[in-house]
Amino acid sequence: MGSKKKSLGVKILPYLLIFPVCLSVALFSFYPFVKTIVSSFSVTDEFGGWIRWAGTTFWQMIVESKTNDFGKMVRTTLVFAVMNFTMTLSLAGVLAFLTTKRTRLSKIYQTLFALPMAVASATASIVWKFILNSEGGLLNTWLGTNIEWLNDPKIAIWMVSIVTAWCHLGHSYLFLLAGFRSVSADVQEAAIVDGAGRFTRAFRIMIPMASPQIFFVVFTNIISALKTFTQINLLTNGGPAGATSTLMYGIYWRQYKGEYEAACCLSIVLFLVIFLITRIQFLSEKKLVHYQ
Amino acid sequence: MKRKHKKAIREALKIILGVIIMFPLIIMIITAFMPKAEVLSIPFNLSIKNPTLDNFAYVFKYLEILTYLKNTFVVIGVCVPVQVITSLLAAYAFSYFEFPLKKTIFTLLLMSMMIPGEVVMMTLFKMIVNWELINTYASLIITHLVSVGAVFMFRQNMLSLPRSLWEAARMDGCGYMKYFSSILVPLCKTLIVARVLESFIWTYNSHLWPLMVITTDTMKTVQVGVASLTGAQHSGIVLAATACVLVIPVLLFIFGMDKISEGLTAGAVKS
Repeated sequence: MGSKKKSLGVKILPYLLIFPVCLSVALFSFYPFVKTIVSSFSVTDEFGGWIRWAGTTFWQMIVESKTNDFGKMVRTTLVFAVMNFTMTLSLAGVLAFLTTKRTRLSKIYQTLFALPMAVASATASIVWKFILNSEGGLLNTWLGTNIEWLNDPKIAIWMVSIVTAWCHLGHSYLFLLAGFRSVSADVQEAAIVDGAGRFTRAFRIMIPMASPQIFFVVFTNIISALKTFTQINLLTNGGPAGATSTLMYGIYWRQYKGEYEAACCLSIVLFLVIFLITRIQFLSEKKLVHYQ
Repeated sequence: MKRKHKKAIREALKIILGVIIMFPLIIMIITAFMPKAEVLSIPFNLSIKNPTLDNFAYVFKYLEILTYLKNTFVVIGVCVPVQVITSLLAAYAFSYFEFPLKKTIFTLLLMSMMIPGEVVMMTLFKMIVNWELINTYASLIITHLVSVGAVFMFRQNMLSLPRSLWEAARMDGCGYMKYFSSILVPLCKTLIVARVLESFIWTYNSHLWPLMVITTDTMKTVQVGVASLTGAQHSGIVLAATACVLVIPVLLFIFGMDKISEGLTAGAVKS
């Protein structure tokens, strides 16, 4: 009866089921993506409508721009990504390692460690800005210093990274915790019996066995650092002197100034950077990650 | 006895570490209860002398914080259920049906995940301008009605369910949509709850997109609204408003943390 009963209704049912998702993806992901590429080589009106081809005019503009130095922007973006993932990974890793073993209070400190992920980056930035304020801010009062935490080009990028790492901490911590906990107690006890110390256990057993999670956390942090906007916008506005101006901030800044086509060029660059990193992730995963 | 002692110290240290991480939020709460004079005193001091509710009173009396909250909840009220339902439906099609072009469409969806929302955001903004949707709920909603990530997560979950269940139900004459609503959805309950919580918090916390498409004060969402207070008000008021806004996701997170972390790890890492 099966074949005959497969009526028209049944044939179109799966298409109806996937229709909303496909429509939205086509309209709000693929279409604007293609349009972004086209617009980066065109002159457009204020509604983004196509007027005429412009060749590489806008690409030259962003590369040659003096006020919003492209090379510096790409460097800042990469430096920021590296800083962010190093800080997040090391802190989250230490916390996860310390709390791998379940105890009666684990629930409490797990919640405390993971809570930053519920805090919006806008909220976090407002609070941190208050702490880092140079005039009468809390940190300067405590240290008895007068440091321009957010206005010194050398320091500001560190501060933005610290705040971003704080925001990403909870997410990474939960992943690493799940990874470390997946290492069975037997394996660990066997290691202890064999006389393996804390460090040997961490580097020879826990880290290799949790490598899928570690790997995932590293790349998630790199990619979300590349896409970071809010912290930069609220803490430094890309300044001082462009020291915290990443690609993502550059995109917003160009758009804000009404230079949509230039914003499109930068968007494509951001896409390519993220794409490249995802490829690296994909290719290196096979070599580096140990699946149980 | 000594071992017990050591253990207690270790536990206490972990709690202290947790409190250190939470320190920015503690500072926020303390400052929110400070009278203006203490907030503005230089050098600023955390010890509070005359705790007051003035800042909170000001926030609710003179600022549009309740409007911001209302706007945010309108967006969440539409986006979160629609995201979950559309993802479940698509996941159902991809895990239980064979149909022409299935592989191609699935690959296209996978590819769409390679395009970050941030990359197409400026063009999306132009589309919203073109459609004259600036400063409307529609602009906040339409671009976030679907989550491809959730489709994959639910599909994974559905594929892991025993096939015999489906065959038995079909044998008993259970219709396709009946199977979906009365068997499949209840079986995916844990992940649905995880997804709702995550999507709720994510939407509540989003900043860049609302910042771009909303320009009038009465249409702002919470994050944009509160962020726009800095500079216009003294820090006591700003932090009081921030604290009010923060309560909801933090409570949701504390009560739903197990579910959230389950949902996070379910979709992301193969094992």
